[in-house]
Amino acid sequence: MKRYDLIVAGAGPAGLSAAAEAAKCGMRVAVFDENAKPGGQLFKQIHKFFGSKAHKAKIRGFNIGSELLAEAERLGVEVFLNAPVLGLYDGREILVRIGDETRHYKGDSIIVATGASENMLAFPGWTLPGVMGAGAAQTMMNINRVRPGSRVLMLGSGNVGLVVGFQLLQAGCEVVAVADAAPRVGGYGVHAAKLARCGVPFYLSHTIVRAEGSDCVTGVTIGEVDSGWSVIPGTEKHFDADTICIAVGLSSATGLLKTAGCEMEDKGPFGRLPVCDEYGQTSITGIYACGDVSGIEEASSAMIEGRISGAAAANYLGFLPDAALKARAGELEQALEALREGMFAPKNRGKIPDKTDEGFDVSMSLLTRGYLDDAEVAGYPGVRSAAGTHPVIECTQNIPCNPCQDACPKGCITVGENIVALPQIDAGAECIGCGLCVASCSGQAIFLVNEDIGGGLASVTIPYEFLPAPKPGDTGVCLGRDGKPVCPGEVLEFKSPPAFDKTGLLTVAVPQAFCGRARFWKREA
Amino acid sequence: MTERKLLSDLVPQPDDDMVVCRCEEITKGEIRRAVHDGMFNIHEARRFLRCGMGLCQGQTCGRLVKAIIARELGISQSELDDATGRAPMRPTEMRIIASEVFGE
Amino acid sequence: MRIENHPILGEPEDAREVFFTFDGKQIKGREGEPIAAALRANGVLTHRYTKKLGLPRGVFCAIGRCTDCVMVVNGRPNVRTCVTPLAEGTAVETQYGAAARRGEAGK
Repeated sequence: MKRYDLIVAGAGPAGLSAAAEAAKCGMRVAVFDENAKPGGQLFKQIHKFFGSKAHKAKIRGFNIGSELLAEAERLGVEVFLNAPVLGLYDGREILVRIGDETRHYKGDSIIVATGASENMLAFPGWTLPGVMGAGAAQTMMNINRVRPGSRVLMLGSGNVGLVVGFQLLQAGCEVVAVADAAPRVGGYGVHAAKLARCGVPFYLSHTIVRAEGSDCVTGVTIGEVDSGWSVIPGTEKHFDADTICIAVGLSSATGLLKTAGCEMEDKGPFGRLPVCDEYGQTSITGIYACGDVSGIEEASSAMIEGRISGAAAANYLGFLPDAALKARAGELEQALEALREGMFAPKNRGKIPDKTDEGFDVSMSLLTRGYLDDAEVAGYPGVRSAAGTHPVIECTQNIPCNPCQDACPKGCITVGENIVALPQIDAGAECIGCGLCVASCSGQAIFLVNEDIGGGLASVTIPYEFLPAPKPGDTGVCLGRDGKPVCPGEVLEFKSPPAFDKTGLLTVAVPQAFCGRARFWKREA
Repeated sequence: MTERKLLSDLVPQPDDDMVVCRCEEITKGEIRRAVHDGMFNIHEARRFLRCGMGLCQGQTCGRLVKAIIARELGISQSELDDATGRAPMRPTEMRIIASEVFGE
Repeated sequence: MRIENHPILGEPEDAREVFFTFDGKQIKGREGEPIAAALRANGVLTHRYTKKLGLPRGVFCAIGRCTDCVMVVNGRPNVRTCVTPLAEGTAVETQYGAAARRGEAGK
């Protein structure tokens, strides 16, 4: 039986990170994955990640995936693809399907990084072709390069629903609505705002009544729910749609850990999860769990958890001295803790804070309609009126992210030590209008405004990730935060240099009175 | 083992004919009926109805079935076990399982 | 339905165009792409009809987990089309029930 120092099940962000970390310590590592390509779900993440430099913030998911894969290869990690691990047995032995055979391998240590699967929601019509997981739509458009449909209803306003919703727009689909049975948007407000300003309506406290159609989806009806989650008669709303995406959370894929007999515990809304120590070691010595399989979080957290488990496995087998593990794990845990702060931290799940850490009111409009109300925007620390070009930062929730601070060459923007703090603008610092902050903001919440460019006009610079690229002189209509037309807008400039990594900066001229409201631009039909 | 107790009468619901287990085409009504017939946990329901025993092995419906059973029993979902994890974790043809290679 | 140009991903990687059959009809796809993607690009949504209720099913998870998209591929039933690459001449058929041919272990 072939033997490795470490066997990793799952070549996603956690598994590859674990493998790379262990290989760095001199271990002989094999990674097995059921898919034809490595990276797990990282390669379909085409948005810029949150966090700080330590978390690869502002880098798009698929680019992080390529880096990670290159690192693992460089370190000599063997990656077996089309190789699902079928079972995990006593003595840390695994059974893998390779081609038309099953093969046994032994690992002196095992890391299970099998990720998660999408939760589903059963409703009348949910078996019709056209109803699919949000992850399925994402795979179809971002990996397979085929639109899953033309008119899509998104069920679920968590980050997956919001991010995939926006990517559907980028792929050229129409998103007819985002609906969620919860009374509040579940994901980051900035993600919701990106969709809302494109004109996507939000229906909170709404659930799906039925998918319509006989051979495939032709429409969908949603309705408002009462406190007992029952649809209130008379509140039903119909949409023509050919696709319904379900984004109602993820569940840890713990099957392999269970076959091994790892102890599990009930973690309430998180489901039944493996009991792990601080390094991800399960109740069975030498078997570790990291990433989504040990509890659903972001890919950024999964990569750090993977590194911690990889280092711990190296220590277990004597490849990494105790002191070195302590130092490495300490530094990684610090990075992990930074991501686990703020309103959306796992420990705050289910709570609805009405104030930010700084004491600002959380926008109820953002939570219930997906966009900041025009009247309340001015109350946030990133929003200032000034002479000349200046940034307007519509970042109003405590989320772990700070690339804007690092982006500004003039030091105009401060987030501070605690990366969940709201960015503040230093009124004394000079803005040179470079736009690096706009392009660096993973939430696309930064705009450049010049309130007076002469002739009764103002300019607004908008992050723009759509095709075709606008050209100077193009005319169109500016949309407000709520996605409704507010004024005409003529394109002054469109910049998309490599440093902006595909986030184009679109500058439009608008009548002065609308510079505080125009936040998106649509070409004249 | 869940304690056997008397449940109130099975009241039909409008979506009882909705498929819950997509692979084996088991409806919500069948699962509710099974609970009233004495299947008080996910293991028993699986054996009795085959829900979660199809090609996907309950990856899609596992949580949904659990929620229906818990609601019918009037208990919290955390009081119910998940289905037992068993190899093979992915659908595998018998001829492949039989082609077992040991050693290199 | 193909996304020829994408604001973030750019142009798709070059792939050889191949012919394959869907229920005997010859159509075009890209070599190596999942069969399900090639079918979607050709407007095919229904991959199979279920055994008990005879209802249509299509792509649901697109990552090989849910097994809803299975079809008869080159004569073999229950092949997950979302993770099975397309090749020149692949014969793809709508699956009825659980078996390769209608009437066997199914409808």
